[in-house]
Order: sequence, then C-alpha cells, then structure tokens
Amino acid sequence: MEHTAPPVREALERALVDEGDRLYALAFRVTRDADLAADAVQEAFATALERAAQFRGESAAATWLYRIVYNKSIDLLRRRGREEPLDEQSQDDEVEPETGSAWSRPPDEVLFGAETREALERVLAELTPVQRAIFELRAAEGRPTEEVAEIVGLPVGTVRVYFHRARLRLRRLLASTFDRGRP
Amino acid sequence: MNCGDLLRLLTEYEEGTLPTPLCVEVARHLSECAPCEELRHELHELTRLCRESTPRLPEALRRRIEDLLRRQDP
Repeated sequence: MEHTAPPVREALERALVDEGDRLYALAFRVTRDADLAADAVQEAFATALERAAQFRGESAAATWLYRIVYNKSIDLLRRRGREEPLDEQSQDDEVEPETGSAWSRPPDEVLFGAETREALERVLAELTPVQRAIFELRAAEGRPTEEVAEIVGLPVGTVRVYFHRARLRLRRLLASTFDRGRP
Repeated sequence: MNCGDLLRLLTEYEEGTLPTPLCVEVARHLSECAPCEELRHELHELTRLCRESTPRLPEALRRRIEDLLRRQDP
C-alpha cells in the first residue's frame, strides 16, 4: 500500500470520530446485518486509505466516505447473494391519507418505544436497499437531497421520488402492523 | 389543490424547494384538511422514530479501524 498523506489520514480519523456511528448506521440499514455492516465500514476505510489520491479536500471527506460505505454495502449484499429487487416502479406511492394509525398515537395509547422501533426494523425490510439508504440519509441524518444523490449515485429528482415513496410506504406498513392488533 | 396533489408535493414542500405560490397552496390545504395534516404529522413521527433507532458503531469495530489508520503512520 502506498504511503498515505497525513491530511487524508487525519481526515479519516476525524470522520471515524464524527461520523462513525452514522456510517455504520448507513451500512446496517442497507445490509440489515451487523456483520456485513461491520465489514462494509472497515473495508470502506481501507479503500479510502488506498484511494487517498482521489480525496478532494476536507469538506468532501464525509460525502466521499459515505459513498464508499454505501457501495461496499451494496457489493457485500450482492456477494452474499442477498441482493433484493431494485425495481422501484412496482411500489405504489399513491395512497389516500388516512388518519388514526396506532403507531403514531401518544405514548399513553401505544408503547412508542421498543415495540415501535422493532416494528420499524421489520418494515424497513420491505424497502429496497437503495430506498433504505436514502431514507436513512435523508430522514435519520437530515442530509440534503443533493448530498444524498452524490452518495448513492442517482439524480437529485430520483432521490426525492425514492425518499417520498419510502416514507409513505413505511408509514403504510407501520399502520398495517399496528392496526392488525386493534379490535 | 386536492389531497393527491398534496401527496405529490409534500416532500418538496418540506424541503423548501417548491415555488412560493405552490408553497402557499400546500400550506392552505394543510390548514384546512385534517387527514393531510395527520399524514404530515405521521411522517414527522416516522423521522423521529428512525433517528431514535439509529444503530451505533460497535466499539470493537471502532478499535479495528483505529488500528488500521494507525498502521498508516509514517
């Protein structure tokens, strides 16, 4: 391996401290597997060191690393034969707004804690890997659509549509999960 | 504006990327349509739920990456 310039290494060290949890969260959301997620993050840092020459400056370090983690996660899913359908068109997003879903009610009506979080993890499995990545980056991390587009390598408009579909689908799935248990 | 229009425009409205006249229409619809306002509330709750559920980098993995970076010291 070539000698890595200290500024790049320092940027990666900072990224590990500042972004480590979120990088892992992205890998975990995409792969839905703790071991695969760990491999993706570790391999991403190793790749970043190897490709230090491609580093475009401190401000882009995080985005660059996120993109590598995302690609590693997708690669690992494919290698392990866990690739899920990437067809977004088949997922209907035109739903009527219905009120009163149990999962979003106040805590005195539903356990808005472990039960709901477990339900979220289950329904996330219904999304495609790219939808999960976009949902994680946009919703959980609040990253701008433009940056998310750069990370997942899709046009901004496509990311906006996928995010829109993903959260409507999650809302619908959560509602059906909780409403099944209602009298 | 009807509920279907709102559904299509809500994400852009929340991102602040809609033209001002459409923003005004979306805001008006939300103030007058309880089901759509409820939809927006649920989508916000979904975001909160996702943030609360974010997994954390395992310590063992953090140490392995720190070692990896340290091995690059000149």
